[in-house]
Amino acid sequence: MTTVEEGSYEKFLPEGIPSSQMPFWESLRAHDIRVQRCDRCGTYRYHPKDACPSCQSRKATWAPLSGRGTIYTYTVVRRAPSAAYASDLPYALVHATMDEGFRMAAGVAELNINDLRIGMPVRIVYDDVTPNWTLFRFTST
Amino acid sequence: MGELHEAAVAGIYQSEQGDLSTRDQAEVWWEAAEGACRDAGIELADIDGLVGNGPAGIGLRSHMPGAGLAEQLGHPLRFHAKSETGAGSPLAGLNLAAHAVTQGLADAVVIVNAVAGAGEGYTSSDRDTSVAAMAKLSGPYEYVYGTTRVADYAVFAMRHFYEFGTSSAQLAEVAVAQRHHATLHPLSVTGRRGDITIDDVLESPMIADPLHLYDCCIINQGAGAMIVTKATQVASLGRHAAVVLLGYGEGHSHLDPNSMPSMTDCPAAKLAADTAFGMAAVRRDEIDVAGLADHFTIGVILGLEDAGFCGPGEGGSFVEGGGIGLDGHLPINTSGGHLSFSHAGFCGIFTAIEVVEQLRHEGGERQVDGARVGFVTATGGAQQAHAAAVLARA
Repeated sequence: MTTVEEGSYEKFLPEGIPSSQMPFWESLRAHDIRVQRCDRCGTYRYHPKDACPSCQSRKATWAPLSGRGTIYTYTVVRRAPSAAYASDLPYALVHATMDEGFRMAAGVAELNINDLRIGMPVRIVYDDVTPNWTLFRFTST
Repeated sequence: MGELHEAAVAGIYQSEQGDLSTRDQAEVWWEAAEGACRDAGIELADIDGLVGNGPAGIGLRSHMPGAGLAEQLGHPLRFHAKSETGAGSPLAGLNLAAHAVTQGLADAVVIVNAVAGAGEGYTSSDRDTSVAAMAKLSGPYEYVYGTTRVADYAVFAMRHFYEFGTSSAQLAEVAVAQRHHATLHPLSVTGRRGDITIDDVLESPMIADPLHLYDCCIINQGAGAMIVTKATQVASLGRHAAVVLLGYGEGHSHLDPNSMPSMTDCPAAKLAADTAFGMAAVRRDEIDVAGLADHFTIGVILGLEDAGFCGPGEGGSFVEGGGIGLDGHLPINTSGGHLSFSHAGFCGIFTAIEVVEQLRHEGGERQVDGARVGFVTATGGAQQAHAAAVLARA
């Protein structure tokens, strides 16, 4: 997990993110993850959405998270999408049910792929991949 | 104003499938359109409606496909429409075409899916380019972590294994049955490689746990086309049985898989199937042959459960022991499907064409005896958009 110069990062970076969704990415960069939470009914919205899937309210606040959850499902990738990812093979992708009750997907950090189990507790750590972009990953608690 | 079942698939055509990188996309498009017209017993000049894309070209042609085709046919088209449901687009297109014909908006509608030439993105003839383009279909919140289309389905399979005890050997049953079907289809990409066994699947390289190479669809190019007219016209031409659209439904689900309440069932897929069966007034046990979206073996398991051919979690045992083979309780993807026949472009068209051939009793060695009612699904993305249709031999 080392930060590299913006132009020399060869994996995929987010593209086409609308300004309304940038607070999520800015929260990662600040190492203070926040996701939308409906002002009317309290439902969390992730990925960011224009409207609440529970009550269709368009009002939301960027709310902090515990950063903790349990693995809902996962896979271990053994055929990479591009050469930049191939050097990491094999690597895991995890979908976790967060303590707040919704699911998020990410890669993992310092977690042996042979230890992965559905139901395993995980927590979020940050990965500053470039000066402008930070990702989050799941690690063991 | 007519009923949906007054429209019929009048003509079908499938080109060679495989590597068409040395051919021009437009040439292959026209080959498919002409082939489907010939099969229907009509001329290109009779086409007055287009659903989906026309032949590739320059300038505005891809944005105004109806105008682009009309200019080349030399007469105005009366109808154009397009569904944006990825691989499901041609099946959704069949519904659009049937509506156009029954509402008097067109007499002969052509639907073509053609992939050839160098291609771009996920239709590229270069495998690495295609894999990278498909990887990004998960969107920026996921593709930054190195998702692939295989991984997008692998997480469904992993959860299904956990909840229901579904096994890799059960998934392999799907690949084995469909490869056998492909060996009986002269146009299939993999048929000439011969049958595979469950052990072959289990010993093939792991791509994204728990999906092995043979759990995945092939990557290839090729074309397919359908002509839709009134069923009465098919009957009067007398070339083959009319295959009519008895029922149709859609279900648009989500973009982020974490928006699904569960990864082991899909309410939108159920909605599509229930709508189609309800409109057709047909029961599940009346289906003689089916084509279920099979980008990966787990897709067939999920498809069986969501469409109501078995209960939740029972898809694995349904496919065991040749359950979806030609002699099984429900023959599925009898051409080999996306796993073994073709996965070119908007590949749902091939799934539908095979069911049409079965209902016409033109399946040759693959024929399901006496097939009269068929069910077809098409899925866009990773369980994201669903179309379902009940077809019947008129």
